[in-house]
Amino acid sequence: MKSREQEYREMYMAEALEAYDAMSRHISELERNPHDSQALNELFRLMHNLKSNSRAMGYTSIGEVAHHMETIFGLIRSKEREFSGSLAAVLFTGVDMIGAMIRAVGDDEVVPDSNVLLDNLDRLVRGEEPVLEGELADEEDATRKLELSDLVYIQIKKLDHLLNLVGELIIDRDRILTLSQEIGNSALQTSAAHLFRITDELQYSVMDARLVNVGSLLNKFPRVVRDVASAEQKQVELTLSGQDIQIDRNILQIITDALLHLVRNAVAHGLETPAEREKAGKPAQGQLTLSAQTERDDVLIQVTDDGRGIDVESVRRKAVERGLVGKEAARQLDDKAVRAFLFEPGFSMAKEVTEISGRGVGLDVVKLAIDSLGGQLRVDSVLGQGTTFTLVLPTSIAVKGALLFELDERSYAIPLMHTDSVVSLWPDDLHVVGGLLMAEVQGENVPVVSLRRLLQNGDEPLQPATRAEVQGRQDIIIVNYNNRKLGLIVDRFLRQQNIVIKPMTKPLDTIELFGGVTLLGSGQVCLVLDVPALTRLFLARRL
Amino acid sequence: MKNRILIVDDSFYMRTMLKNMLTDAGYEVVGEAANGQQALEMAASAKPDLITLDVILPDNTGLDVLKGIRQNDPDVKVVMCSAVGQEVIVNEALESGASAYIVKPFSEEKVLEIVSGALQTAE
Repeated sequence: MKSREQEYREMYMAEALEAYDAMSRHISELERNPHDSQALNELFRLMHNLKSNSRAMGYTSIGEVAHHMETIFGLIRSKEREFSGSLAAVLFTGVDMIGAMIRAVGDDEVVPDSNVLLDNLDRLVRGEEPVLEGELADEEDATRKLELSDLVYIQIKKLDHLLNLVGELIIDRDRILTLSQEIGNSALQTSAAHLFRITDELQYSVMDARLVNVGSLLNKFPRVVRDVASAEQKQVELTLSGQDIQIDRNILQIITDALLHLVRNAVAHGLETPAEREKAGKPAQGQLTLSAQTERDDVLIQVTDDGRGIDVESVRRKAVERGLVGKEAARQLDDKAVRAFLFEPGFSMAKEVTEISGRGVGLDVVKLAIDSLGGQLRVDSVLGQGTTFTLVLPTSIAVKGALLFELDERSYAIPLMHTDSVVSLWPDDLHVVGGLLMAEVQGENVPVVSLRRLLQNGDEPLQPATRAEVQGRQDIIIVNYNNRKLGLIVDRFLRQQNIVIKPMTKPLDTIELFGGVTLLGSGQVCLVLDVPALTRLFLARRL
Repeated sequence: MKNRILIVDDSFYMRTMLKNMLTDAGYEVVGEAANGQQALEMAASAKPDLITLDVILPDNTGLDVLKGIRQNDPDVKVVMCSAVGQEVIVNEALESGASAYIVKPFSEEKVLEIVSGALQTAE
């Protein structure tokens, strides 16, 4: 973790070097055209900033030179001096001196002495002729260096390519590490361990290079909110927070439309009109908050409004009408589970729901975007008080934490993002309710199904469960998707591991139950389960 | 409720330092603008309680921005940030409705003292 001082210093250096480049450019422009007022204004501004920043950092000698230079440029601007002759020569020397001083600070070297220059600048301010030494100019030329900026711009597809290569490398690395242990050659093992560390660092460096501030997206929203609010005749106060949280650039790109959709929805449907709000005893101006924060390895982005909230009962009715759930089952679902129906494909098209609850237009599309990243979308709402949508996103797309387990002597992986907990239960802990096995996990009743049975027999209805099918201790992974929990019985838990997920190749890419494959160190191919698809399959096949 | 502040300065370094100082003191920094155009837009959309405004900005002088901001929202408090040497502009800014000014380089205590002072005149 960098200290704040270190960060300030890096920022200062980057900005100072950039300013020096710009000063060199503008002073040459001024030489060509002494009346170029734009170049003059820029020089004045750059000197001003360099002065302020240098003084704040405690680099007083740079601040002093910049201050004197600023004064002269100010005099040229007010037409009290002319950019020509000895004055121009001194200013050129001044810009060179500034470059040398900044470099010295960057290299932790002694900052060159600037007394002669300062004396000349003072003379110019007083309207006297500067003392120019011929050798001085020659000496300066000999030590002149060309400085390039410390920042580069890079196309994102080049970073994508790097990341893919790192993914390949990591798979081979794991293979080599395993082989070295099998062969038992200690020199090979040492090299493999070293390779492991280096590739790990490489992976994190490439991931780090792709991070951008969430603010680069959030800061676009004040404008959006203002426009939607004025079109909808709403009064909205937008608050942003967590703009400096960092996230992979492509993840931010993928959620852009989803976030835009949620924000527009919140203003257009979530928040009431000023008249409605006053009637409900609320301030006429609605509050909308867009915030980002980190939670463990994930980034949470929340869209919160203090509008009318979601009417759970009308969603429940609609879900029954559309046949998504039986009337009896619907009555037993808690509010959270009912709100999850809003993300069902097509559900949202229901006009009545849109009007009554003010929600639901195209939320399934938002959900799909988040799913494609292996993220989660949650909604919380209190009727009459407001709604919060939470996007849980991975920081990086390259590597995912996964839980490895065994089923029928094969290894499978399940992303941690969708894993709630792992439990080992005895048959006494499981109950049969309506043909389904149920277990109480952390005070909640969770349906449990044998993963083996779920993966067999296509999409035929599942056979009613019986207690007889479970014998002895059961290893169960509790997965969570769209506010629905499901327990999957597996043969054996293996371990937790970071994996690089590779997309399935044709013709296997049509099997949607698997989100991809990964290669384990043993060379074994390991299928990665897609929890959203698995949950949908379970809901479709249960009785 | 937290007082909401907009920072206007063309230096990223300066903005970051101000933001850290203000955030640490419990203020909410609602935005950062790097030029006059951005400053006017963000002042209108984010509706801050107070704006710290650099006197020298790339596309516009700080004074023009000050006048624009005050025209749109006469209640917003504006604290000018300047380095020594701009006393003339600072005086004009105070006449044009700025609440106070901070001279760069500034200490954390000084910034917080001036900002809270300017906000109190709002009550």
